[in-house]
Amino acid sequence: MKKRFLRYHTTTLVFVFLLLFFVLFPFAVMVSMSLKAPDEQFTSPPYLVPKRPTLDNYFHVFGRGSMFARYFLNSFLVASLATLVVLVVALFSSYGYARLIFPGRSFFLVLILLSQLFPLAAIIVPLYRIMSTTRLIDTYVSLVIGYLTFSVPVGVWFLRGFFLSIPKELEEAAMIDGCSRFQAFWRVVVPLVRPGVGATAAYLFFITWQEFMFALTFITSETKRTLPVGIFDFVGQYETNWGNLMAASVLICVPVFILFLFVQRQLVGGLTQGAVKG
Amino acid sequence: MKATNREWISGYLFIVPSLVLLFLLVFYPLFLTFLYSLYDMSLTAVRYLGWSGYARFFNNKMLPLVFRNSLTWTLIVVVFQFLLGMSSALLLNRSFPGRALVRGLVILPWVMPGVIAGMVWRLIYDPQLGLLNHYLRLLGIISQPLIWLSNPKTALYAVIFAAIWKGFPFSTLMYLAGLQIVPQELYEAADIDGAGGWIKFRNVTVPSMRPIIVTTLLLTFIWTFNYFELVYVMTGGGPGEKSHIFPTYVYDLAFKRFRFGVASQFAVFDFLFLLIFSLFYIRTSFKREGSL
Repeated sequence: MKKRFLRYHTTTLVFVFLLLFFVLFPFAVMVSMSLKAPDEQFTSPPYLVPKRPTLDNYFHVFGRGSMFARYFLNSFLVASLATLVVLVVALFSSYGYARLIFPGRSFFLVLILLSQLFPLAAIIVPLYRIMSTTRLIDTYVSLVIGYLTFSVPVGVWFLRGFFLSIPKELEEAAMIDGCSRFQAFWRVVVPLVRPGVGATAAYLFFITWQEFMFALTFITSETKRTLPVGIFDFVGQYETNWGNLMAASVLICVPVFILFLFVQRQLVGGLTQGAVKG
Repeated sequence: MKATNREWISGYLFIVPSLVLLFLLVFYPLFLTFLYSLYDMSLTAVRYLGWSGYARFFNNKMLPLVFRNSLTWTLIVVVFQFLLGMSSALLLNRSFPGRALVRGLVILPWVMPGVIAGMVWRLIYDPQLGLLNHYLRLLGIISQPLIWLSNPKTALYAVIFAAIWKGFPFSTLMYLAGLQIVPQELYEAADIDGAGGWIKFRNVTVPSMRPIIVTTLLLTFIWTFNYFELVYVMTGGGPGEKSHIFPTYVYDLAFKRFRFGVASQFAVFDFLFLLIFSLFYIRTSFKREGSL
């Protein structure tokens, strides 16, 4: 019996180790390259652990002639703005879908789900032309507008789930006490759903922070580029500055990892809620 | 009656902002894409083709290639994300020291921005600098460094491997959440009947988790089919346009060659194909919630 117990635990740990190796190997490659000086970057055969680790790549990424800090700011601005707009819009809509009964509700909900699933490639051409004719191309606004296309449906769907998890009786009681529907929503339900709003905001920031296709298409001038496009500065036509590129990559990952750490539980709840209800 | 009317009005007031945005930014452009697909459109000229444009589209040599690539890419990624997601969920559902930390770490690939993941995998696959070739040579599996991403035979599969790595944690999360709702009594009953691990998995775990499995499979299918970054960053659809999938090819046609009409035709095809799966997904979500 004891032997079987031991074997069970050993196999578990072996598989956990294998899983971690698979998951973390690319991260190790990224961090390792970011810490290598040029002479170590190009040695053959390559090796994982830098012999003389240095932070030079990180300094260089922020150094003179590098636009990285600017891209960081651009990304932050666009992602925050998009997240804010979506939160305001989605907070109202998701409540409507979660609580109120009106004709066409299911139909509109289907539209929300549908627009969450369909390919962005299917609308990028007309969006680009619309942005061109309205002279919005190469502005932050064009990106924020572009990001609304996929983040509004996601935001509505997420928040709706959080609203559904709050007992109806609370706002009914508030309305019996003389609150209007809107007051009940704003004063009673919204404060209760705050953790859900936080998780939704984090997720929206996360998907807009890393958006690539619209950023690549709508922004033409260097000073307005966001990070996912900006890191291609380190990719030359003939050779790639891998050290700088990987240092920049680490720096782009850090904010989303931290964000994720803080809202992990609510976020996982939000992602799986629909599926787990059974 | 009056009360319901008031509820209708407030219902519409609550949802109207998001509806306006969706119609303006999603459904109107979608309609325009259909419209564009009937034209021969470039930067300089616009000519109406009507349905004859579609006759040309179905003779386009790239269509079967892009469609086949898209299916290969999506199916392999979905199947392996399922296998890996399910087995890692079962593993992380066991108890061992440091489990909370390991669960957190396993999610990281999914949290990593797609462009960065593409770059890191490009480095891993690099013929000179990449560790993959080096390790494979140490193991004696290959004798010459392979050019994974520049060989038309391996390019798409190399990206597929990266995509499996990038996306499987989502499946892990879903199945891990699902495992928590499998009724424990069923396992106890199976134990009494003397069922082994595999029998229990097949006859208790899978049936109890069926709705979650179906949802996750459909979602990963749709997301993978739409996934642009990895292929674009790692191969750019190359070499020789051999690894294009729908999103990258539409992008290429539109913004590198400015053939907006043909790009729209591919986009319409892409959209209609995915619509089938999206409707399945929507049906299962509705069924699960009973009435929405």
